[in-house]
Amino acid sequence: MRAIVTGDRDRWVKLVMFCCASVSFVGVLLIFLFIFRESLPAITKVGIPKLFLSTDWRPKSGHYGMLAFTFGTVFTTVVAMVIAAPLGIGAAVFIDQIAPEKVGKGVRRVIELLAGIPSVVIGWFALILLVPFIRSVTGSSGFGMLAASLVLVVMSLPTITTLSAESLRAVPVELKEASAAMGATRWQSIYKIMIPSAREGLIIAVILGMGRAIGETMAVQMVIGNASQATASLLQPGSTLTTRIVQDMGEASGVFRSALFAQALMLLLLSVFLIISIRLISRERKHA
Amino acid sequence: MTGRRADKAASTVFWILGITVVVILGFIIIEIFARGLLTALNPKFIFGKPEAIKGGGGVFPMIVSTLYLVALSLIISLPISIGAAIYLSEYAKKGRVTGFIRFCLDTLATLPSIVFGLFGLALFVVYFQWSYCLMAGAFTLAILNLPILLRGTEQAMNLVPDTYREASMSLGASKWTTIRQVVVPSAMPGIITATILPIGRIVGESAAIIYTTGLFIRNIPVNPFDTAAPLAGYVWYAQTEGQGDYLRVVTAGPRCC
Repeated sequence: MRAIVTGDRDRWVKLVMFCCASVSFVGVLLIFLFIFRESLPAITKVGIPKLFLSTDWRPKSGHYGMLAFTFGTVFTTVVAMVIAAPLGIGAAVFIDQIAPEKVGKGVRRVIELLAGIPSVVIGWFALILLVPFIRSVTGSSGFGMLAASLVLVVMSLPTITTLSAESLRAVPVELKEASAAMGATRWQSIYKIMIPSAREGLIIAVILGMGRAIGETMAVQMVIGNASQATASLLQPGSTLTTRIVQDMGEASGVFRSALFAQALMLLLLSVFLIISIRLISRERKHA
Repeated sequence: MTGRRADKAASTVFWILGITVVVILGFIIIEIFARGLLTALNPKFIFGKPEAIKGGGGVFPMIVSTLYLVALSLIISLPISIGAAIYLSEYAKKGRVTGFIRFCLDTLATLPSIVFGLFGLALFVVYFQWSYCLMAGAFTLAILNLPILLRGTEQAMNLVPDTYREASMSLGASKWTTIRQVVVPSAMPGIITATILPIGRIVGESAAIIYTTGLFIRNIPVNPFDTAAPLAGYVWYAQTEGQGDYLRVVTAGPRCC
């Protein structure tokens, strides 16, 4: 009789624990639902083409095109990755393969420490040092896409380096030993054996770094200049989706506010796109 | 011979890359500490109230807000994370359901924090009509931190040797008794360590809280439904308002290590 009672209780406990686990699903669902619900007025009143595919952003006269900001997000992220990906993966190779153990550990500590510094602090730092530096070198205002991209390099470096080092460490030692036994130098082992076998892990590290860069808000807002134009010039001021939201949210209402929520929806879609591509890459890895 | 020369050249390049990263990061860390240290040690700054009109002043209400937010948010997210970790590591079999839960966790982990901020604004502040308050921020951050906290908790539970579970079961304990009396207590030190990362995120998070807890206060928040102004958000506010000598506020500001 007692066994049945405890069995019953176990089933209840399992149900409660399952509910805890499904909070993650409920969270994702609620986020989608509420961001979508709030952006609905803009989608219906402005229309999808004029909202998502136009660069015309003049909220005062009812033009809410966000393409310039989507472009700003993609552009700064790509520029940042061009710098941060080689730097981060290189640093990871250094930590994992080249540096003596103590040096590698020290480098890792510094990187972890940086990952813990709040983005507003990095932003302030860029504002008082990086912006004046760019101004004095280029003669521009200093605020703009270049400053934003460099901030994103700093913000995404810890993610890329740590994850790349992890995936390099996961390469079986036998592979490296076999390569060394065949007479390969350290460099040959690294670029012929280590990097190809860790390839998917390295790509995922860079994609997660991109995720960081796309979502970064405060630090970028402080240095990008917050102009509403679309620009591919590194020295011109611009905006990203995140910076436009914080810039305008304070005074927005009605359709204007809803258009900002539509930009958050765009950010949501961008990060879901990243997640799905990571899933596809890691599934490929399992099959290979 | 060329092989060896290439090897030397490559080693040099990687040393340079490694050193570059350390120099960039080290420079930032040292600079922030050097600029903020003197102000941070000034008792008037730590325990004073902010000036309403000319800007500057102390940041005591903001420090209280941050600590309050950390406590509230962990009280909400820790039980959920422990429950979810128990389900994933003790009950669930690997399959579609756990795969889907992990997919949701991955999605939560990559969403930009500003999206969490707007979500918190739409759901807690507006829809639930809580207005800007600590509770709204705490719930928003609890969801934001769920993936990191859950991963840490689960790892701590996976580290408990299976022999412990088997020994407990062989003594006639039910599964739930085993979890409650054996697994969770042995994993407790690991679970506590797992809260460090989320605490760091709560302290440093600004985009997710400026639309949920509020930006500026002069009095210390008492009730969880009081408007508050955690440091990180206040730093941003101070910067955009641009009044007074806010450089001090900022450099001495939020820092989590």
